Amino acid sequence: MKRANQLVLWWHHAFLEKRPSVSMGLFRLAAAFTVGCHMIPSFFHMQDNYLPTAFKTKNFFFFPMPILELVEHSPAWVIWSFMWLFLGSLAAFAAGLYSQISCILLMLSCYYFYALNNLHIGTLSFDILLVTMFLLCLTASHGDFLSLDSLRRGKDGLHKRRPYAIQRLLQLQLAWTFWYTALSKVTAGGNWITGNPYLALMNYPPMGVVRDFPLKAWLAQQSGLCYAIGLSVLTMETLIPLLWFIPRTRPAGIAIGIVFQLLLWATLHVPTIFLFLFPPMMLLFIRPEAIVRWFEARQAAQAQRGRAVLLYDGQCGFCVASVKRLRAMDLFGWVDPLDFRAQPDLTALHPALTPERCRSEMILIEPDGKIWGGFQAFQRLSRRLPLLAGAAPLMHLPGAGSVGDRVYRWVAAHRMLLHRTPACSANQCGLPPSSNSWS
Amino acid sequence: MLVRRSVQITWFVILWMLIFHYETLRANYLTPLAGRPLPKLALLFPPAGWIMFFQVDRAYGFAEVQGVRANGEPVRLDPHAIFETPAVGYDNIHRNVLVAVLSKGYAPSFCRFLKRKFPEYERFTVLYGVYPDVVAAPDQTRYAVAYRCEPEPRGP
Repeated sequence: MKRANQLVLWWHHAFLEKRPSVSMGLFRLAAAFTVGCHMIPSFFHMQDNYLPTAFKTKNFFFFPMPILELVEHSPAWVIWSFMWLFLGSLAAFAAGLYSQISCILLMLSCYYFYALNNLHIGTLSFDILLVTMFLLCLTASHGDFLSLDSLRRGKDGLHKRRPYAIQRLLQLQLAWTFWYTALSKVTAGGNWITGNPYLALMNYPPMGVVRDFPLKAWLAQQSGLCYAIGLSVLTMETLIPLLWFIPRTRPAGIAIGIVFQLLLWATLHVPTIFLFLFPPMMLLFIRPEAIVRWFEARQAAQAQRGRAVLLYDGQCGFCVASVKRLRAMDLFGWVDPLDFRAQPDLTALHPALTPERCRSEMILIEPDGKIWGGFQAFQRLSRRLPLLAGAAPLMHLPGAGSVGDRVYRWVAAHRMLLHRTPACSANQCGLPPSSNSWS
Repeated sequence: MLVRRSVQITWFVILWMLIFHYETLRANYLTPLAGRPLPKLALLFPPAGWIMFFQVDRAYGFAEVQGVRANGEPVRLDPHAIFETPAVGYDNIHRNVLVAVLSKGYAPSFCRFLKRKFPEYERFTVLYGVYPDVVAAPDQTRYAVAYRCEPEPRGP
């Protein structure tokens, strides 16, 4: 009975327990990057790869014949539509916009192109990527953090908790892949014990899979050393996953695993799916609570150094909603938003402040006392808030200041109309006092 | 509600693990054990498990394509010019992607592809090349013609 209880507890901890989904949010970025890097180059040569003029090969083991036949007869407009679907869903998935739905659409478009032509994109590593993406399709947890979904919800997602099952299955997938790879090298026709595959690889012709790295010619003459390297590859593939599961050896295991993947990529022309996907999968072994604590420590350190102050109009629903989103972007707690109407003495915050100025524009007071208003405040925020970093180059383009300032002035003048309260038919509408608190 | 969700997750995890290991072991372990081909789950998992570089022989096979001009002079075509699609961080030609064209089943479509891409050649020869032993005899190669792409007969 006690054993059964322990087993249930262990199972609960392993798969069912709700834990922060922060790691899945970060992993989403890696998965999107990997899919994009693998697929997008094939779209630069549509005539060669996908359109009716292309040379195509089929993966008969993976797809049932009816699907291959259906896809084979795609007219050009369908092929182009799927390309746009792929690009759109990839962008949405990377940005974490309707993260689960975009993941499913991305997966669907990957399948389409895989069925259409296996030649360039179909590799064993792509099959691994699809297994990973399949698991990501089953959850929305990857949209909780560092995502537009989190901005839509107005929460940073750092403390959002979800069942751990998918993250655990991704960990297991990686470990099993390593172990089964090692197993197949010594059984089922694998010749890493009975032969000397590494020596053969080093002697492959120049157009072979081995890169032309500095020691290659020398290694090609060292039969014993090559055999030993082959055995050490086997040992690494067996031992590295063990290190991931033991908390004390986990950091070393992850570091060794990443170096192992780097060496693989540096010596062989293997698809970069291995390099782009496996190291982030290894990082999924880091306890999500530790990542949350890391962010909290950064926020606490920022609080000690002093935060910037952002003054906004608490009676404007649009401003309140915008600040809520801004707060979600502020992962390291750099800025402290305050309703200027709730401040008894604005000059105590900065001598240059007046209620009129605060009413006319958003004000940012940096920890060193520098004060910025309107679009300039946005420009400064884009340099400081990680989730606005992507917009920073755009905001600092030549001429962006004058255009941005005009847009900002228009939005500021009409801000009362921009919130969603249907009762607001004129530019006079304020929020009830209780709605002013957004935290 | 919580219990129901936990039960659903538990069933999924068990099912997923069973499928994962079945598909990993099916081709090289379970099929020989059963003595007959076992069914593969469509649309997910590689056909023969995680067999990355599991068997590397001393023999190395590759494909070569020659374009033949009107005067009969054969020219070896650069594989990077045949398949120009780049890959991020690696080279698909080095991964021997060209061997896919050796299959006779693909001959008609590959010939059409070559004729469109290299109109300056009248016909093409697709060769199967092999290094019998890259360690003992790295300079020795043998070639055999896989198939030829002949010009389409002109109308009357």
